[in-house]
Amino acid sequence: MPRGIKRIGATGMPFPFSREALAGARCAALCFGFGSSRTTSTTAVAKALPPPHLRDLSRPKNPNLATIVYTMLSSSPFHFRFHSHSHSHSHSPFPYPSPPSPVIANLPSLPRVPPYGGGGGCRPLQPPLVSYIPSLGALVPFPEKKPCCVLPADAAASIESRQGAWRGEHEEDEEDALPSGLRREWLPRHVAVIMDGNSRWAKARSLPTSAGHEAGYKALREMLRLSCAWGIRVLTVFAFSSENWLRPKAEVDFLMMLFERILRENIGNFLRESIRVRIIGDSSKLPFALQKLAKEVEEMSRNNSRIELVVAVSYSGRGDIAQACQKISQKVKHGLLEPEEITESLIAQELETTSIEFPCPDLLIRTSGEARLSNFLLWQSAYSELFFTKTYWPDFGEADYVEALFSFQKRQRRFGQRIT
Amino acid sequence: MDLSDEIARVLIPPLQRVQSSKILSGLLQKYQNLQLDKLRYLAIVVESEEAKNTTKIKQLLSWLSSIGVKYVTLYDMEGVLKKSVETDLKSSENPSVADGNAVASVHQERMTVELLSFSDGKGAVAKAASFLCLQYLEGDSVGYNKMEPVFTETDVTNALKAVGHGGPDPDLLLVYGPARCHLGFPAWRIRYTEIVHMGSLRSMKYGAVVKAIYDFSKKHQNYENMPQFVYEHF
Repeated sequence: MPRGIKRIGATGMPFPFSREALAGARCAALCFGFGSSRTTSTTAVAKALPPPHLRDLSRPKNPNLATIVYTMLSSSPFHFRFHSHSHSHSHSPFPYPSPPSPVIANLPSLPRVPPYGGGGGCRPLQPPLVSYIPSLGALVPFPEKKPCCVLPADAAASIESRQGAWRGEHEEDEEDALPSGLRREWLPRHVAVIMDGNSRWAKARSLPTSAGHEAGYKALREMLRLSCAWGIRVLTVFAFSSENWLRPKAEVDFLMMLFERILRENIGNFLRESIRVRIIGDSSKLPFALQKLAKEVEEMSRNNSRIELVVAVSYSGRGDIAQACQKISQKVKHGLLEPEEITESLIAQELETTSIEFPCPDLLIRTSGEARLSNFLLWQSAYSELFFTKTYWPDFGEADYVEALFSFQKRQRRFGQRIT
Repeated sequence: MDLSDEIARVLIPPLQRVQSSKILSGLLQKYQNLQLDKLRYLAIVVESEEAKNTTKIKQLLSWLSSIGVKYVTLYDMEGVLKKSVETDLKSSENPSVADGNAVASVHQERMTVELLSFSDGKGAVAKAASFLCLQYLEGDSVGYNKMEPVFTETDVTNALKAVGHGGPDPDLLLVYGPARCHLGFPAWRIRYTEIVHMGSLRSMKYGAVVKAIYDFSKKHQNYENMPQFVYEHF
């Protein structure tokens, strides 16, 4: 098995994967080439760059050709798929509606976008052509990435004068996608979900628990797709609590493998759809391979800006508060702060969610009929609208999501201006 | 949203009112003998504007006492309840205050009423963090002799008790107000608390309170003898 490649299948057994096949994939990538005509720039991902002879890939003259080639390689059995049997979701592309490309025709030159965005806190463009993921031991091509920044005012004005301007928020495209009755200005920015009910769903169907978790994964994919489409900025999901370590070992092991599989399967999707992935929780308890992969996915996606997907694994709300107190005490120890200067704001700044664009959920959904927070985002949920539904998580679909969003909109919001 | 959902949305509130009335009139036998074994601590969160209605608050406390609840934590963000209710409780028969709690005798049954506001939530955690830091710097038991301070959840729990904010975790939390939101109730204490939105305090119903307590007791009968964490799963 090539060094650095670790394959986990549904059975948990490693798969044979020939060096020749991997070399063939790399050769194909070299011959066909990937990437856009944008200038490359190094990012933090560059620390996992492929070997030098693979870095300079010829650029396709016809962007459509690159798309076709990428699609071909994506469906190729040699391309980053490490499973013994297919799942319907693992071979179908993530059905996200893509944002329209910026219209820049008839301009004397391309508008200059500052290296760190046009302002408003935009993240810089991320144009590496490929990224090498050590834990996969393979190349992951970056598909055609739409810029996320708002263009400088003069360029934006000239574009707008021609036709509907594309903006980083994809507003025009998503406005039409909102279900009837929902209004964009009343949508929550941050939705948190306690994905409860997988086991009971499976039990009700005389299926093993693993089937419930697989079905839950599909529901998560759908919720992420809808959140992207409707302009939700942050989606936080409670995948595994600190208490769940006490579950039967077989179930815990299955879940760890499932999480790893989910990350591996969706790397391309996260990049293509500009999803930033964050993992919160006590990662020290996770299997080493999963820890490593999670860090890599976080690093690779850190410049994505369409939506933040925060996955709470081995997470405890109390633990989050305790580690915040611990971080503050380190500052006290080093003389940066006096004990009497500790305030709730300082504690909030040290929580695991602090670097998220909108750290506190506006809407917190829990499925399966339970009406508890179960140690999830205890501090952050002070002003969250709580929506409890009896639907089991695998059955939670678009209609349920719309109901939750509608409920958020409809209830009188006492706080006209969101308080965080 | 299909037609059936819309119909349910329109019909459910009146149905709840009908059920509440039935409970009040004693028609529904099952609500008559509530088993309160699982309900040791009850919390009430009231939106601060609504909390100014002292009459309603006193009526609610009276209901809870008649039901047999022994420990009630009353919370509102701005501390309205602390100002209004505490005064009344202190001036009632057999008043006694211990550690910030007003103990009131109502209906011949003693019920402990704890009054909290926002400062008892996040502010209390800040005080606990300060306490832990001081302990660490003085070389006390917490993180003693460690190069870097390490605080566990147990350390924070003990610190909260030490700074006077170590109240019990409520089993059930009833929210009165326009939003289904715990409004900053002490985060440390609601890890496994069942949360029920009761609607506006203005339109509170005795039957709805009884039903909420009954439903809680019924649900948690199924979890008898099981550790909390076993059924805290997804």
